[in-house]
Amino acid sequence: MPEIKVTPLGAGQDVGRSCILVSIGGKNIMLDCGMHMGYNDDRRFPDFSYITQNGRLTDFLDCVIISHFHLDHCGALPFMSEMVGYDGPIYMTHPTKAICPILLEDFRKITVDKKGETNFFTSQMIKDCMKKVVPLNLHQTVQVDDELEIKAYYAGHVLGAAMVHIKVGSESVVYTGDYNMTPDRHLGAAWIDKCRPDILISESTYATTIRDSKRCRERDFLKKVHESIERGGKVLIPVFALGRAQELCILLETFWERMNLKAPIYFSTGLTEKANHYYKLFITWTNQKIRKTFVQRNMFEFKHIKAFDRSYADNPGPMVVFATPGMLHAGQSLQIFKKWAGNEKNMVIMPGYCVQGTIGHKILNGQRKLEMEGRSTLDVKLQVEYMSFSAHADAKGIMQLIRMAEPRNMLLVHGEAVKMEFLKGKIEQEFSIDCYMPANGETVTVTTNPSVPVDISLNLLKREMALGGPLPDPKKPRTMHGTLIMKENSLKLVSSEQALKELGLNEHQLRFTCRVQLQDPHSDTDTLHRIYTHLKSVLKGYTIQHLPDGTVMVESIVIKVSSSTEDPNTKVLLLSWSYQDEDLGSFLSTLLKKGLPSGLC
Amino acid sequence: RTDMEETEFDDILDDWFIESLKTYKDLHVYQLEHPTQVIEWTSGKTVCVAGFTSSKNEILELRLPLKLFADENKGLCAERDFKVVHGGFTDAPVRFSNCLNLQVWDLGGDDSDVIRRTGSVDGSRGVSEGGSRIAARLSSQPQVLHGAESAGVRLTQLTSGQTVYTLETDSADPLSSLHFVSDAVFLAGCSNGKVYIADTRTSAAPQLSPPPPSSGESVLWWTDASAGPSCLDPSSCRIVRLSSCGQTVISDLRNPGGAVSRAQLDVQTRRCNADDVRVSWAPALDDCIAVSGFSGAVQIYSSSVWTTELQEAQPLFEHRGHAVSSQSDDGVPVFVTSHVWHPERPRTLLSAASDGSVHVWDWVDQSAAGC
Repeated sequence: MPEIKVTPLGAGQDVGRSCILVSIGGKNIMLDCGMHMGYNDDRRFPDFSYITQNGRLTDFLDCVIISHFHLDHCGALPFMSEMVGYDGPIYMTHPTKAICPILLEDFRKITVDKKGETNFFTSQMIKDCMKKVVPLNLHQTVQVDDELEIKAYYAGHVLGAAMVHIKVGSESVVYTGDYNMTPDRHLGAAWIDKCRPDILISESTYATTIRDSKRCRERDFLKKVHESIERGGKVLIPVFALGRAQELCILLETFWERMNLKAPIYFSTGLTEKANHYYKLFITWTNQKIRKTFVQRNMFEFKHIKAFDRSYADNPGPMVVFATPGMLHAGQSLQIFKKWAGNEKNMVIMPGYCVQGTIGHKILNGQRKLEMEGRSTLDVKLQVEYMSFSAHADAKGIMQLIRMAEPRNMLLVHGEAVKMEFLKGKIEQEFSIDCYMPANGETVTVTTNPSVPVDISLNLLKREMALGGPLPDPKKPRTMHGTLIMKENSLKLVSSEQALKELGLNEHQLRFTCRVQLQDPHSDTDTLHRIYTHLKSVLKGYTIQHLPDGTVMVESIVIKVSSSTEDPNTKVLLLSWSYQDEDLGSFLSTLLKKGLPSGLC
Repeated sequence: RTDMEETEFDDILDDWFIESLKTYKDLHVYQLEHPTQVIEWTSGKTVCVAGFTSSKNEILELRLPLKLFADENKGLCAERDFKVVHGGFTDAPVRFSNCLNLQVWDLGGDDSDVIRRTGSVDGSRGVSEGGSRIAARLSSQPQVLHGAESAGVRLTQLTSGQTVYTLETDSADPLSSLHFVSDAVFLAGCSNGKVYIADTRTSAAPQLSPPPPSSGESVLWWTDASAGPSCLDPSSCRIVRLSSCGQTVISDLRNPGGAVSRAQLDVQTRRCNADDVRVSWAPALDDCIAVSGFSGAVQIYSSSVWTTELQEAQPLFEHRGHAVSSQSDDGVPVFVTSHVWHPERPRTLLSAASDGSVHVWDWVDQSAAGC
């Protein structure tokens, strides 16, 4: 039976590291290649030994697809391609291709420079890895090879995030990566057509939650900023160059306008340039609202938000500053942090996850005394706030996506299997499809029922349609005689003669003969004529001929009459038919065994 | 909806959220797949909600966001979501956590998240449109008080199915609520305004508090009794009665026929669904009452300023979140289907509305006096 195999890789049940292997139609595909941030040893990488015990992965994988630039989806990519070894194509969207290397390099710097790791990928490896990338456009079908094709769909979540549709022959799989079903201030919602894949693979990290609304999270953010500003404090918001930063800026701008606030908001220059650059490049990836405003004005010409100069950090009074990098591990955001940390009126708002080893990670864990370079200690007296703005699909979102795509089977990865029985039941009940929840390292095999397309030769079709007659029943499916030929990966149904010709074979003829005894006090010729009349009245629509050589032919069936030697009234009918006319032949012999009706002339 | 309408809606919503910075300490807004008429506490941090369509419904046990409870290190906690701890299905609508046939549900243990039905208790014999009312008694042996009419309220032990007590009254008045005020004493509030007070330990006839005067034929009444630490002596409990035209009467259990205070609330009666109206005493605030079900708002009143004269009362606080954030396509205005107070946190409430929204909110008391 045809089947598709799915195996989520990785060591242990931990969520947050994505790497899924799919075997479909003889092709092997790796979906995402994420790193687990919590471990310092090999457990942070997916377990590639599942693919092959030693050696490069090139021969075992047809392609690698990366859904978006978050490190838990692409963090292990350079390790996989350059240290384990893979030379095949790596597919990702344009924004992902542009942003991935920046985050990977940042991440590498923290891990190697800050934490002194040795077994880690180098800057050159990141560059070499990115050379293997083939960028994807939305809704554009890409042929990986003759049989494998992929297509990217909009996923929301972050700039450039995609869901991917994978097809081999008539079997298909959709992988969602991380997605979001509700639009936010700068991104739209995920969308896919009714592609009816055999399997829909979805992350299920938040499958057992019901998410608090976006506006409430924003409200919290505004509340914190406002409270700080009101008491004369300074607010530092460390951000990455993209995504969340724009959204928060738009939010603050709206708020400042409404509340008529005067405190200055700054955006560090490096950020502005990069962000502007990327947004210009990828404007089609943002939502309607952003695109509209972008047309009217430059993305970063806010009324209340200005470019930052490092000397401003020493200015008295309240202010808000957006600065990179996002985890406070180096650069401008760290400099500002050091200046403001000692004042309890100030605040730092961390808008996302921080890697272990960074200052961001330490303060989010409650550390209030930090060791800085040169043995100095920094007292952290300012308020530390952790806000999560990332948009993920929850249980409701998963159900919505299933309704959109109409998959034949559902597969949830990276959840807590034991705690998802309810969701599994819900999916199975509402959609009558199977729902699988494999653990890491466990393979799920899904049997598919693909339809096989077959061409039929026109001649054959015409011939079958020409076979008339009300008997046998035209409503019932009828047996068709033809030959199925498989040539150059396509299937054809042709007439037997054509098939024999193509194969250079001779046709053998099978003929059946049958003798039927009949009582009929007429001459042989008259009996034959009577038979002819009888058959003509019963078998309307069939070709019946009374031939001069003394036979009656029904289609290709031959009927001859002769008398028995003992009794001239006992007629012996000889019926002869070919294999093709078996049905009709049998019918005729049964009919004639019943005798001829008396009313015939 | 046009772009224009969309922007207007967004603006109004933004306005409300910005205003909420001052008026709420905490605010969480959730969207369930289906609306609920039921919010019941199953522990200090978890509630149960359930659908009420006539076909298959979900029952969910939800854990409140950790951020709400992280009082000390609140800033370091980013978790704002409801966690679905357990879930299950039922074929009947779930109202007031009941059906015509009471069903008993087992919230799965730690190793499963599925809620399964473990049994049922024969519902009341009285045929009432709204179905039975129930009140659970958390004694050593779980017992449930249930009934649809005053003459027929029974206290049933869940494990054995035995009836431990039956309320006997002269007339069979349809009930709007049942409440325990102590281990043994309960109130049966009728929709015609009568309140029966019964003691399950005796076979004596229940006390009857007649409906407040000026109650008309078509007027419906809802009741709540204040219980809790201040009610160790049941006779110091108070009863609040609310009518469908907004008249509110507070009585003392010691003198159930009389009125301690009254007020006329502005409930903007459009058509109200009898099943949706709730009136409740705040468990951790003195004299505070919450009212919902007449519109898309939950109103909080302080009864400490009320007198025996019937006068108009203004709410101390109004939660309009459901009305403001509802995008109803068919022009039917959203209305609140249920609300509950948090048992310990003085100003924290949960409310649910007909559009499936569930809000958790902690309001700021901006008045000098009051709760």
